[in-house]
Amino acid sequence: MEEYAYLTSILASIFYLATSARLLRLHRRTRERPECLLGLYFACSGLYYLAYNVPSLLGFDGWPPSIGLAVEWVYNLGVLPYLLFIRLVFRPNDVWAVGLVAFASGCLLVAGVALTAGGHVDYSLDNPWFLTQWLGYTIPCAWIGCEAVLDWRSSGKRARLGLVQPLVVNRYLLLALFGASQFLACLSDLLFAHDISNSEAVSLVTNVLLGGTEAASVVLLWLAFFPPDFYAGWIARRAHSPVAAE
Amino acid sequence: MATTLFDIAAERLEESTDMDRLAARGTLRLALKEAGLDTQNFSLAQLRTVFERLMPKELEARGVPHGVAICSAVMNGVASIASTADLSTAESPDEIFKRLGGR
Repeated sequence: MEEYAYLTSILASIFYLATSARLLRLHRRTRERPECLLGLYFACSGLYYLAYNVPSLLGFDGWPPSIGLAVEWVYNLGVLPYLLFIRLVFRPNDVWAVGLVAFASGCLLVAGVALTAGGHVDYSLDNPWFLTQWLGYTIPCAWIGCEAVLDWRSSGKRARLGLVQPLVVNRYLLLALFGASQFLACLSDLLFAHDISNSEAVSLVTNVLLGGTEAASVVLLWLAFFPPDFYAGWIARRAHSPVAAE
Repeated sequence: MATTLFDIAAERLEESTDMDRLAARGTLRLALKEAGLDTQNFSLAQLRTVFERLMPKELEARGVPHGVAICSAVMNGVASIASTADLSTAESPDEIFKRLGGR
């Protein structure tokens, strides 16, 4: 079961890197910031999950502490553009959003410095810097889920007036589910820390949560960013059906 | 002084009806909400749809006669002002997500 969770994470990381490549290629063409920020986030996430899971899957003891810390920094720094993306897209005029970005960024940077000063990565619920880091990367997962739900609801009204395409409305829903899935993954990080603090063995529940949320995230991102023809057609037909039009 | 599309449209609505400033802004706000739009971030094309599809009913509900004609006149005025004013609005999430998942 543990190998299954690691394998799912590695597949997810490859998919994150593919999504990142697509978004950064789009940025090269449009020069717009949202695709650049989201592309950077997925690039860092992909690299992090890949680097984090390869040792476990291949059965060696893990990276030396210095590389482990570098990998943590890649992820911590990668979350910063994600926070900026959420603010830029959903809350460009709200002062509180700047405060939330600053708070979460502060958590990640302070935790990164503290972990570096400690000399090694310590996933433990007794380690306040792990919890600080956890807070820093959990905030954007919950935040984007909430924002996407709000926009999904209002975009339904816009769609009825023909102001937005049904596929874009559906994309908000997929993003909301992606946020929820990532939030669950963050919660499973706490279970993971609890497991390895007590017994060094990762429980079945934790493995199912870790693997399941990553698998769900991949499917949601695939439908959102690489919508296949059958899916786009289904969404369009559903939007124009008599039941949906009521 | 009007600075946003919302301000301009509300002013024109106030001038074209017997509604006071508060009522005009409130009516426009309700119509935008009904359309799922934020008062701070919508395009001229979106506003035109609101004035064509929703605002006549909102005016009728407030006892304002000739709603369709008023809405048409207000939109012509707004479009005229908007064409000369600097009304740069942030890109909407709809536009961004349409592009991000572009096929």
